[in-house]
Amino acid sequence: MASGIDKFIGLLMLLIATAVFAYYTAWVLVMPFVDQGHPLHELFPPREWAIRIPVVLILVGGGLVGSFISMVMIRTARKQAGKSKTK
Amino acid sequence: MTKATQTLTLLVLTTGIWLTLLFEIVKVPAPLDQIVPTLPLWVIVSFGAYLLGTLGWNIFTFQDKEAAYHSLLKEIDEAKRDLKGRGVTID
Repeated sequence: MASGIDKFIGLLMLLIATAVFAYYTAWVLVMPFVDQGHPLHELFPPREWAIRIPVVLILVGGGLVGSFISMVMIRTARKQAGKSKTK
Repeated sequence: MTKATQTLTLLVLTTGIWLTLLFEIVKVPAPLDQIVPTLPLWVIVSFGAYLLGTLGWNIFTFQDKEAAYHSLLKEIDEAKRDLKGRGVTID
């Protein structure tokens, strides 16, 4: 068996994924069918945020990944340039 | 038809249908037209949730594999000995 803490992390990832999927699906696909003024709308922020939050997260995530790759590539190029100079 | 061609065809088809609904070439009843523009983003979010959930489930239900563990340790030992013979030391 995966050790205790690993199992906990796995379970946590699964629960977060399920919660995100359920909440987002309810927000985007179900709420448009619910009449204005129904108390269910209190559970969700205004719908523009259903677009803004994922788009911002995707852009930030993509930026982080791109920066990491760029840093690694620059470091490798610098090492190779350093090596070819001392040769 | 290759797998790539199949996937591409499916992608173009669904994009075409979605664009048809988006530009109201085919009309959609009232609350649905609020959903149509958000569908691609919903697909991406759901896919991300699916990936995270599958990873979590596989971590949670991982079983130890005794035989594979021992055979892997043996292979590591053999590799270490082999490399040592060629002058590379691994701790």
